[in-house]
Amino acid sequence: MSEQRPNSVPPPWAGRILAGLFALCAIVLVWDFFVDRKVHHPFEEWPVMYPLFGFAGISLLILAAKGLRRLVMRREDYYDDE
Amino acid sequence: MSSVPPFLIFLAGALVVPLLRRVPMVRAAWLLLIPVAGALNLWGLPEGYQLQYEFLGYTLTPVRTVDRLSLLFGYLFHLAAFIGIVYSLHLGKGDRPSVQYASAVVYAGSGLGAVFAGDFITLFVFWELLGVSSVFLIWARRTPRAIAAGMRYLIVHVGSGVVLLAGAMVHAHGTGSLDFGQMELRGLAAWLVFLAFGVKAAFPLLHTWLVDAYPEGTPTGTVFLSTFTTKTAVYALARGFPGEEYLIYIGAAMACFPIFYAVIENDLRRTLSYSMINQIGFMVCGIGVGSTLAINGVVAQVFNHVIFKQLLFMSMGAVMFVTGKTRASDLGGLWRSMPWTTAFCIVGAASISAVPLFNGFVSKSMIMSSLLEGHHYWVWPFMLLASAGVVEHAGIKIPYFAFFAHDSGIRTREAPLNMLLAMGIGAAVCLGIGIWPDLLYGLLPYPVDYEPYTYTHVLTQIQLLCFAIGAVAAFHLWKLYPAEIPSVNLDVDWVYRRGAARVTRWTGSVVAAVDGVFRERVLDTVDRTLRGAFRTHGPRGILARTWPAGSMVLWVSILLAAFLFLQFL
Repeated sequence: MSEQRPNSVPPPWAGRILAGLFALCAIVLVWDFFVDRKVHHPFEEWPVMYPLFGFAGISLLILAAKGLRRLVMRREDYYDDE
Repeated sequence: MSSVPPFLIFLAGALVVPLLRRVPMVRAAWLLLIPVAGALNLWGLPEGYQLQYEFLGYTLTPVRTVDRLSLLFGYLFHLAAFIGIVYSLHLGKGDRPSVQYASAVVYAGSGLGAVFAGDFITLFVFWELLGVSSVFLIWARRTPRAIAAGMRYLIVHVGSGVVLLAGAMVHAHGTGSLDFGQMELRGLAAWLVFLAFGVKAAFPLLHTWLVDAYPEGTPTGTVFLSTFTTKTAVYALARGFPGEEYLIYIGAAMACFPIFYAVIENDLRRTLSYSMINQIGFMVCGIGVGSTLAINGVVAQVFNHVIFKQLLFMSMGAVMFVTGKTRASDLGGLWRSMPWTTAFCIVGAASISAVPLFNGFVSKSMIMSSLLEGHHYWVWPFMLLASAGVVEHAGIKIPYFAFFAHDSGIRTREAPLNMLLAMGIGAAVCLGIGIWPDLLYGLLPYPVDYEPYTYTHVLTQIQLLCFAIGAVAAFHLWKLYPAEIPSVNLDVDWVYRRGAARVTRWTGSVVAAVDGVFRERVLDTVDRTLRGAFRTHGPRGILARTWPAGSMVLWVSILLAAFLFLQFL
């Protein structure tokens, strides 16, 4: 049960995709300050609420899931002797 | 052409399927004809069509007056059955094709029967048939795990039907009617019916049958399984309990808890199963809100969900078919060998993530907007988190670990043509509805006054998506993302798969111990009694001795003397 597999070689275009993603993140983040958004929820009035929610939400989700794994993960044949 | 009940075409069609096993081409044509003929029949149903008759003093309505809610589910089930059949056309002798085809067609027909059922007895019959017919799509895999999971699945679904029947009986006793329509969640009957619907809809704590059984189905069988059971339950909830407030919170819980499991699950079809519960959570939540916008959103989401979830299960089924594997830890780098399947999977992933121009974008936002319209401000952030979670597990994890990530070294062939064709149809529907949402909006139960492509909505959704994906990418780069590890994750099913066994063993050991002590005490008492009796009545016991006649005379004389003495006192 190793945490990382050794043969982790990303495809050659992975770097470009990531760079594009982070560039897009920067663009939509800056864009937020230049538009008058039509909002319905008090939270939506906060600047950069959606980017913040997306990043923080997923970060918390991943960290919580890692905690959950400690609690619930068992070996693959755990139920096989039923 | 005179109209027939929608389910009848499927049930009658399934009877013929086993007879065509020696002529596979004819069987394929027949299978494709069934949903096409069914859809034409549904389209041609006259206004106000209904089937009703009297039975033992009750009015049964096997086909209710067709309305826009049941009609859209009807069309959806025909489309999903058609896609599923196209996807399964390659089945060969080793796959038990007759069993799989016949059970899939009966299963689709049962879904249709339940959707058009106007009374509880008809609903119960199709409710049970859904479970009984679909279990063969799990058993057809013939592995010990599949057989055990199928048996658990069957027990849960038959149980759900029994609860539904009990609710129907109490309802009939109280109201004198078996009609199935909108109910208030008050009284035993309504709660029993609600519970039965909840089991099939995979409410929290009642959900484990889904994540237990669906990943164990055959590659083609799970495509059917992902469509009919849970969506029939969503339909039943929308028909029976729209606007029931409990559903908002149940739906929110359903949308939120599976996203944590989906992150750490290694089996990609089980990840999709958790994802299904998350998506059904949105629907259940919308039914709880109950406004026209919410119900429109729910029905639109059901339609879109069936198509993109089928597409995702089809792509994973194709991977399983050509590699025999579905675990993230065994896969990776398949984009080289399966470019078309990769592309279709990405379309499904983008659709479920609600990327603009894909169908999820035009339906999920209706439910989110209905929450805000209904002032459910504290539920909305949780649903937004659940939306972001979808991006993580279904939008990124599924395509990434199967087709990209670490190169597993697997070099294989592309999926068969029929599988690609089915995935192509699904992908085209995802994009078609995403680009032209009015195609779907025109079929919804209520007139639609909603515009998904507003400046604010598109921008905020892109922001949410980009930063959610950015967070996943950052965790990968920081090597903090949970690695794929061959494992199982304990869920509520531990209670009956392990916990109940442990309780039974513990109870057995306690009973054995108490029984042992009790037996020992009783035996000891019996032993002492016997020994006491032996002492007095045994061969040397005082009462067993042979006394001489002189002794007896002596004792009689003593007794008489004692009486005489007492007489004088």
